[in-house]
Amino acid sequence: MSALILKDYYVIFRQMRIFLLLVLVFSCIPGAFYSTFAVVYASMLPYTALAYDERSHWDQMAAMMPYSDRDLVLSKYVFGWLSTAAAAAASFVLQTVLAAVWPGAEGPSVPVILLSVCVAVCILDITLPMMFRFGVEKARLAMFLIIFLVCAGAGAISVIDQSGGPDFGFQMWAPPAVAVVMTAVSVPLSVRFYGRRRR
Amino acid sequence: MNAIELSHVTKRFPGFALQDLSLTVPSGTICGLVGENGAGKSTTIRLLMGALRPDSGSCTVLGTDAASPEFLSVKEDIGVVLDEAYFPESLNALQVGSVMARTYRRWDSSQYQSCLTRFALPEKKQFKDFSRGMKMKLAIAVALSHSPRLLVLDEATAGLDPFVRDEVLEIFNEFTREEDHSILISSHILSDLEKLCDYIAFLHKGRLLLCEEKDRLLEEYAVFTGTADQADSLQDGAVAAREPNGYGGVRCLVRRELMPAGWDLEKPTVEDVVLFLVKGAKEQ
Repeated sequence: MSALILKDYYVIFRQMRIFLLLVLVFSCIPGAFYSTFAVVYASMLPYTALAYDERSHWDQMAAMMPYSDRDLVLSKYVFGWLSTAAAAAASFVLQTVLAAVWPGAEGPSVPVILLSVCVAVCILDITLPMMFRFGVEKARLAMFLIIFLVCAGAGAISVIDQSGGPDFGFQMWAPPAVAVVMTAVSVPLSVRFYGRRRR
Repeated sequence: MNAIELSHVTKRFPGFALQDLSLTVPSGTICGLVGENGAGKSTTIRLLMGALRPDSGSCTVLGTDAASPEFLSVKEDIGVVLDEAYFPESLNALQVGSVMARTYRRWDSSQYQSCLTRFALPEKKQFKDFSRGMKMKLAIAVALSHSPRLLVLDEATAGLDPFVRDEVLEIFNEFTREEDHSILISSHILSDLEKLCDYIAFLHKGRLLLCEEKDRLLEEYAVFTGTADQADSLQDGAVAAREPNGYGGVRCLVRRELMPAGWDLEKPTVEDVVLFLVKGAKEQ
């Protein structure tokens, strides 16, 4: 599976540079919405990779190679998780540095960043099965859903942050639990949809 | 042992069906898969690589059923070149090598590097900027660099200039010098198959019309050029297919053993046999 993740990394490297710039810009803007938007937005990177795969007909080549359906599907999830984690780490570091050099800036909020990561994972869990079922081209409607979920997710986190931030009770353990359950359902569903291509 | 065994394979799509296909490629041999566009060559290759599931029948490659989970590890032993090289567009040859090194356990970086040098492929140029010939050469380099025992080549020489094509055919020939190395190659360039193959399999509209040893095929058939009356006088079954020769007579593909002694017969090429058989099948 590391081969597939490396391939996706090479494929969207140029986009990654622009994305890192976006994280930098969003992290510099005060308010939870922009910093969390950058993290949640990272969950969209696997769709870019999938779109490039479809354009180059990579799936036909991959079907000839020793990759299982599970590897091909899971690599997109792992790529999304790694992108989200990298965006969260970058956001945390940038906000910390900004708070140190710019006295007026707010420092990073770990609960908000963790919540953003959970929302990003849930968005992946909802949208990736649709991508594997219909393909990126046909799943244009899903793209609207993704954009809506990204904006709504970032907005909801920002509202939670403005109302005093997530507490360390229910609001902290529920999102990771939901993300884990959704992932446990989403991955096998995606594998099943991907496997239908062999019929 | 057979490198490839397809047994009564049927696969139906809307508007096309591969029907009751049985094909065997013995280990250590080269089999050429011939047929018109849409005859079912690429579908056959996808079936035997497990990329498609047959509606009925079985596909066994290197002794393992292509539908079984164990087939995944058998793919390590199979180098595949498809009719187009479908690598991601933004990758360069070095990046493709890095990805493949993590894909195949027996990836040989020095062999890959030597192929890049031999084919004069640029290491850092993006794949999207490659010519078709360069793309095919990169796919061939990848297929040869993980110590495969079987090469499955779908129009692998298409788009290559004659010099490179000749070189690539020589590489394929070298590959089969190992006793257990085999090749299944589909091509429209019949002269390539004549140079390379031990067996010729001919697909027409989803049906296998013949699968024979090339030398036996060329011995079995002959080309006769004469008058229509002469052709009509031959016994039933002697003429496999016929066409006007452009001078008022006919040119026929005939079965040598059914021809009367003393008639002037030409030795056919694989191209003659295949083209005549296609015409014969269309007339039927």
